[in-house]
Amino acid sequence: MKTRIFSLAGIAVLLALCIAAPQMLDAYSLGVALQLLSWIALTQSWVTFSGLTGYVSLGHAVFYGLGAYVMALLWQSAPLWEILLGSGFAGALLALVIGYPALRVSGPYFVILTLGLSEFFKYIVIAVEAGLESSGRLIFGAPDPETLYYIMLLLAVVATLLTWGLARSRWGAGLRAIREDETAAETLGVPVTFLKIAAFVISAFIPGVVGAVWVLRTTYFEPMQLFSPTTSFTIVTMAIIGGSDRAPGPIFGAAFIVLLSELLWARAPHVYLVILGVLLVSFVLFVPKGISGQLAWLMRRRRA
Amino acid sequence: MDQLASTQLLLSALVLASIYALVALGLNLIYGTMRLLNVAHGELMMLGGYTSFWAFELLGVGTLWSMFGAIALTAALGALCYVTVFRYVVRNRELAARLESNSLLIFFGFSIIIQNGLSIAFSADQRSYTYLNGIFALGDARVELNRLAVLGVGAAATAACVLFFRFSRLGLATRALIQQRDAASLVGINADRIQLLVFCVGFGMAGLAGSLVSMTETVTPFGGFPYTISAFIVIILGGLGNLTGGILGAVLLATIEIYGVALTSSAYRSILVYGVFIAILFLRPQGLLGRKMR
Amino acid sequence: MSFLRVENLTRRFGGIVALHDVSFSMEKGEILGLMGANGAGKTTLFSLIAGNLPPSSGHILLEDEKIDGRGPHRVNRLGVARTFQIVRPFATMSVLDNVMVGALYGRSRTLSQPKAREKCRAILDEVGLADRADLPAAALTLAGRKRLEVARALATEPRLLLLDEVLAGLNASEANDALDLIRHLRDSRMLSIIVIEHVMKALMRLSHRILVLHDGRKIMEGAPAEVANDPRVIKAYLGETRDA
Repeated sequence: MKTRIFSLAGIAVLLALCIAAPQMLDAYSLGVALQLLSWIALTQSWVTFSGLTGYVSLGHAVFYGLGAYVMALLWQSAPLWEILLGSGFAGALLALVIGYPALRVSGPYFVILTLGLSEFFKYIVIAVEAGLESSGRLIFGAPDPETLYYIMLLLAVVATLLTWGLARSRWGAGLRAIREDETAAETLGVPVTFLKIAAFVISAFIPGVVGAVWVLRTTYFEPMQLFSPTTSFTIVTMAIIGGSDRAPGPIFGAAFIVLLSELLWARAPHVYLVILGVLLVSFVLFVPKGISGQLAWLMRRRRA
Repeated sequence: MDQLASTQLLLSALVLASIYALVALGLNLIYGTMRLLNVAHGELMMLGGYTSFWAFELLGVGTLWSMFGAIALTAALGALCYVTVFRYVVRNRELAARLESNSLLIFFGFSIIIQNGLSIAFSADQRSYTYLNGIFALGDARVELNRLAVLGVGAAATAACVLFFRFSRLGLATRALIQQRDAASLVGINADRIQLLVFCVGFGMAGLAGSLVSMTETVTPFGGFPYTISAFIVIILGGLGNLTGGILGAVLLATIEIYGVALTSSAYRSILVYGVFIAILFLRPQGLLGRKMR
Repeated sequence: MSFLRVENLTRRFGGIVALHDVSFSMEKGEILGLMGANGAGKTTLFSLIAGNLPPSSGHILLEDEKIDGRGPHRVNRLGVARTFQIVRPFATMSVLDNVMVGALYGRSRTLSQPKAREKCRAILDEVGLADRADLPAAALTLAGRKRLEVARALATEPRLLLLDEVLAGLNASEANDALDLIRHLRDSRMLSIIVIEHVMKALMRLSHRILVLHDGRKIMEGAPAEVANDPRVIKAYLGETRDA
């Protein structure tokens, strides 16, 4: 009970800090905070699907990129909120369409398929843009960073609540059962196809919105960048390092990597990436439950 | 349509197919015996490519010699990887429970390390050199000697590997392991030794492929990724773990790529390749030639 | 009206006929033993009834409702639960959470989690796993995992329970406990149970009736004493196990 009050208080303080941040931070730091929030939202979304079902998606960049594309196409032709929702629905719709055939495939086939799908749509968008004779789209009159920050904060909070709620819900039990043993799960009455597709669709919505916000931040849409597989890989790395079975995981993972990148990226990008690779390997080998899982385990041991 | 019937296109397809077959072979061996997905395969190729590039630039040694160095280097790396990391992964119950995704993440870590390690060591510049660039006329087709070398060495190495795994004692044991891990250890097959062998051969073939490719394409630290993807497509087309299926997959992908681009435009190359790949998995979830899983 | 009717069930795998034209029926509350050498088609029959495999031809009716070709989760919701010969626990989940999956999704569809938890704790108590409820399933012994299989199946509130070699690999006293448990389940819930078992003596003691499969065909069906003395059974079943 006591730890519960503490953690609730901690969350409240953290949230208050997040809300007050734009008043306290300079432009550069606000940019970093925005980045952190976007990675939290993306990684949480990934966890609601891949973390719980064990179907590793290496293609979440496609939803992010699609959301950005929708925003780049529709900007100033509709109110901001409508386009943002539209971007989310575009991601979810794509997940719904590809979900049924893609989720019949499992294991390594699924992993490579998601990567392939993401690259496929990237080149489709590139071809469409080339057909329209547009080489990159500039966005004029984008909202100020502070507004974007609050939208991103909202997204990160919603994504976190979603993971938190889903992980402890009836659906969460079903999804975990699918991860552990799909055949056993369906024999116990779990509607595996439905649940997998539902989780996939849910996990595609927020990345769509995040992509839309991010293109407003960079004010430039370039498919190679926004559909880059690096985005998908970074999400997976953050989830693994933070822990992919519970809501605090992505927050730890994203914070850790954004911090590392801040320390090293500008000065020695290659060194940063080598360290990232070493961390990923070490976590998979030695800390498979991630930072959050390890912390939970340590706390349980101290209590016992 | 004349253009499609040309020897030139056929040769291009064969050259590409021989590289794909070689790259896919290594991937397939490691996946087949140990269920490990090596997404660092393209980076190993680049290591092989750099070996040949530097051998040529610094020592003036031709690729047809330095490719042995590339094989030795990558094979040694394979042995190192197996002994330090994957022997532990395969034996650890918790890690082995989700071997495929875990191995994928570990190899992904390796690929980032190799890419950026190469960047630190050799900078991100594109490297290329001129070697065996004489033109050989074959009927109406004209082809550089180095492409013929790629075709010849690639096909020979692939054939040698397939024959080895088909007919030798060790090869038989390896295929037994691919078919049935548990049963194989029961009949006294030393899985550890075979896994080490497979890592050496698999990595070595990637190194060889990279060395060959460096004669005709530029080498960069980040140039391996497209090859990894193509290799995955090839082995999924052929059925994971199916060595001869991989060769068919390589011919199929190379044909689609070369003739598809000839029919449309090179701008559609990626769409074509990924499109075929996705269509096949959507229609036949177990791969084109693969057996049903479970 | 029979509780379960299996009509002319056939299942082929490529060119191999795993199950050939098998028909039988059973009543509510009956314990039916399923006997046969390895590869006789027993587990295939379970997979067909539970919906894990569609039949090549033939039908399965549960209280006159056709259940074949529906897919395992729908069949489970109609009241068929099975265990697996090679146990399939959700390894990293706790024992209680394993059972919860059955309660939350099976025929019972207990949607409220506190209620489901209460129910699952009672079931764990019944099968003797109450003290291990919070351990990860991977930490259980083989006997424990077999009990967990049964507990999970029970949590779905089945009408028909299919038990695939729940005694195999258990020592004598564990096996005795398991037999008592099966009888208790049948008595407390009027469950119909089909049991696959290699331990002949146990099967004879437990079953009301026994059905013998050989090479995918039903070769006889009858009371345990009848079956044990039937020359065809002795030849087909015992003869073959002696060779093996």
